[in-house]
Amino acid sequence: MIYLTQMMGKPVIDASGDEIGRIHDIAIATGEVFPRVTSLAFVGPDKTPFMISWRKFVEEFDGDKVCLNVDKAGIRFSYLQPDEVLLARDLLDKQIVDTQGMKVVRVNDLKLSESRNQLRLLGAEVGLRGVLRGMSPVLERGAEMAYRLVGRHLPETLIAWNYMDLLDRDLSHVKLSVTHKRLHELHPADAADILEKLSSGQRARVFEHLDNAQAAETLSELEDAYQADVIDDLGNQRASDILEMMDPDDAADIIGDLPYDRAETLLRLMGLRESRQIRKLLGYKEKTAGGIMTPEVTTVPEDWTVQQVIEHIRTVASENESIYYIYVVEADRRLVGVISLRDLIVSPPDTSVEDIVERDVVTANPDDDQEDVAEAMSKYDLLAMPVVDESGRVLGIVTVDDALDVLEEESAEDLALATGSTRKIDEGAWHWLGKKSGWLIVWLVLGLLASLIVRAFSHTIVSLVAVVFFLPLVVRLSEDISSHSLAMLIEAGAPEERPPFVRQLLIDITVGLGLGIVTGLIVLGIMTALSEPIAQAIVLGLSVGLTVLLMATAGAVLPYVALKPGGVGWRAPSALISTGIAALGLAVYLALAAYLNAIVR
Amino acid sequence: MTPAGRKRAKIMMFLGVIGPGIIAASAGNDSGGISTYSVAGAKYGYTMLWAMLAMTPSFIIVQEMAGRMGAVTGKGFAALIRERFGLRPTFVAMLMLLASNAATTIAEFAGIAAAMELFGVSRYLSVPIAAVVVWLLVVRGSYRNVETVLLALSGVFTAYIVAAVLAHPDWRQVAHAFVVPHVVPDKTFIALAIGLTGTTIAPWMQFLLQSQVVEKGTTIKEWGFAKWDAMVGAASANVVACFIIITTAAVLFPEHITITSAKEAAQALAPVAGPYARLLFAVGLLSASTIAAAVLPLTASYAICEAFGFEAGVDRTWAEAPVFNGLYTAIIFGSAALILLPGISLIAIMLVSQVVNGMLLPFLLIFLIRIINDRRIMGRYVNGRVYNVLSWATIVTVIGLTVALLAMTVLGIG
Repeated sequence: MIYLTQMMGKPVIDASGDEIGRIHDIAIATGEVFPRVTSLAFVGPDKTPFMISWRKFVEEFDGDKVCLNVDKAGIRFSYLQPDEVLLARDLLDKQIVDTQGMKVVRVNDLKLSESRNQLRLLGAEVGLRGVLRGMSPVLERGAEMAYRLVGRHLPETLIAWNYMDLLDRDLSHVKLSVTHKRLHELHPADAADILEKLSSGQRARVFEHLDNAQAAETLSELEDAYQADVIDDLGNQRASDILEMMDPDDAADIIGDLPYDRAETLLRLMGLRESRQIRKLLGYKEKTAGGIMTPEVTTVPEDWTVQQVIEHIRTVASENESIYYIYVVEADRRLVGVISLRDLIVSPPDTSVEDIVERDVVTANPDDDQEDVAEAMSKYDLLAMPVVDESGRVLGIVTVDDALDVLEEESAEDLALATGSTRKIDEGAWHWLGKKSGWLIVWLVLGLLASLIVRAFSHTIVSLVAVVFFLPLVVRLSEDISSHSLAMLIEAGAPEERPPFVRQLLIDITVGLGLGIVTGLIVLGIMTALSEPIAQAIVLGLSVGLTVLLMATAGAVLPYVALKPGGVGWRAPSALISTGIAALGLAVYLALAAYLNAIVR
Repeated sequence: MTPAGRKRAKIMMFLGVIGPGIIAASAGNDSGGISTYSVAGAKYGYTMLWAMLAMTPSFIIVQEMAGRMGAVTGKGFAALIRERFGLRPTFVAMLMLLASNAATTIAEFAGIAAAMELFGVSRYLSVPIAAVVVWLLVVRGSYRNVETVLLALSGVFTAYIVAAVLAHPDWRQVAHAFVVPHVVPDKTFIALAIGLTGTTIAPWMQFLLQSQVVEKGTTIKEWGFAKWDAMVGAASANVVACFIIITTAAVLFPEHITITSAKEAAQALAPVAGPYARLLFAVGLLSASTIAAAVLPLTASYAICEAFGFEAGVDRTWAEAPVFNGLYTAIIFGSAALILLPGISLIAIMLVSQVVNGMLLPFLLIFLIRIINDRRIMGRYVNGRVYNVLSWATIVTVIGLTVALLAMTVLGIG
């Protein structure tokens, strides 16, 4: 095996045995899976760079030197061809995308292999091994020995040429190998994942290489935060071309986030039809059916035949986002019913639309909450749901992909509420750090508060040591009770859907009473089993039992207070509430124990 | 959008790019900074003020250059070093960054220990707890939210401005010290001068600022706005630093109080806080040290992984990013462990770490200045002549001071 870092600087010897320079770089032809080395670049004694053909002039490379088959005088110099890539200049030390592992990595070394006097590039070494070798082969051997001592091998992380995509050099004009799986051949969703990991400059460069259709698809797969960023980096004409190719609802989303001037410019550059659709969509509020719908609807009149409808889909409607449902409308676009693609295909061509139309259609109004629409679609298993105005005219449809996004978004919000994190999905690490909450410190403070509470009751603890035994139990129970009632609330969904306050309170008090009696009895049992004085056993059993009951009640009340509908309270995470309740439980338990203990004495 | 709305959009654009510079610079007034400035004032009075004045332009332009590199290339400093210089020089640069970062992290834990000792808490209790808390802040990624609070708390150091006024310094003498250079030819003075440079223009600040500029996606078009953030941040951090020196020079120097622990340093705040001086000082020191102790190891880990192409990110698991996670964990707990060695002087650690920073600074600046003058990388945004002259002057001066210090140590002078 030959490594580029080991080749660099090795002498170049001509046929008469004179050293005429030292290896500076080597070039490969890019058209193959394992590309051949085609040219050798070396520097002469006075630092002049030369480039010669590898095939014509190189006799052999034996690991220590390159031997040429001609005399110094017989060499013809050449230039770098458009399809050639210089390994050291263009690849070594650069970032590349590993399109197989879907990662952005750095090239630490390049591995070559010699067979029948041809040197071929095997791949880029991107792991620790390459770093060590690049530093010094001694380090690599040392590490290899250390690994062998524990019975393992120093792993080599190799990325083959056909799985690489170069980021920095503009290689769009280079014809890469046929099998070369470049970014634009990836699924747009996968490409979007990689793009999100790049810096904004690199992202812009990759976008330059994508054609408009690919760019449009990839752009709609990007997270919202990156979309406006990408559009920012593109020229007006290109940006508007790409937006035009996107589904109007996705395009409207992006344009809605742009500054007014830019949005106007882009809309003006678009075709009249597209810009009108987008403008209409921009009029609807975000997070409503109107905001996520697409105006591209396939509509047909009632008096058509199945044959006519299929023709219509083939010609006029083939570009629409969704054609799984065809909506039957009156002349003024008032919705009559729906036909599925399935109905169309299984029906004889001369059947009238009238005969197969399903007149009972589930519809949404443009102002409906997007979550309700998505839930209805999931309930009725719909691939699309029509959005109609108050007089029943079709405005657009909400398609299933947008509905899925809504559901994911909402569940992420619920999760954030439960865990106290406000992290948006998959943002850059630094950015991500900024979003993440610092509840840790709050918990720490609350924890310290708990210590203060315990300290306040030190005289009780002195006179009734057994009170300490059940501290962890009380804390744990209080936490669990409050997490439980909060979990119920999250499940219940929107504030107005929650069970009425009084009813919930009664349920929780009953449950709390049951739990209190059980735990109280268990504590009593344990105390008796430990042969503690009976008076103390009763005091502690009562204290624990009553605390559980009170905490269950508090657990029912607190979320209603903390989670005011639409109020700031929605941001208070369950973990914070349960820590608070745990501290409260601690205080109540100790106070009860102190009070009861005083009475018994 | 209405015209008012458009105006707001412009302001938002400004606010969108503002922040990294101010954060990076004010995070620089950490335990190492506070102690170095305090000692400089207490030991040499106003003598060192001229050095601060001379350093300010350098600091401002160094921060501007780092940010500009990020805005033009969209890459971190470490990535640029690797792509411009190759593996071996990168290794050297990363080793220096690691040394500078680790030394400063040690100083931060020393700061935490010193602050907690002012509250009467033993370092053997406070440092292990602080190490775990800092580590959790990093792992859970929650430090960014705490950052704002802690930075705000460390803002109590602006109290030095009031303290300086209340301490009634001889303003004529102060002004004189600012403009007339004066050098005391002894080792301590030279070392302190290197430390002052190292803590003011700390190498890690450039890495931090540049990575934040890149992360924010600030482009060179927006840099016209954003550079004011970097430059004003740098300037205001230095204003506070100068007032620390003036205060300690006015309060401690005439009484011949030598700073051997945070207790003496805290006394400088007595004119403004009276009996609460210690409390005020401890709160500031604790918050500044905690946030820096979280930021520094992270900065080093990100930079090193960026340079060598290792997976990085606090959301990566140990299996996915062993080097990244291993690095910051090792720096945090290693630094904390060092503080616990018996008989260590916290103030000495804080000072020495800044001298280390100062000695490493010129070498990282050489990388910086060569990259920023490379037209293939920076295009037409290479340095102007003033910037280059100032940068090289800084490099030469600090190397000169380091050589002088080494020579004096070897020859036993001073």
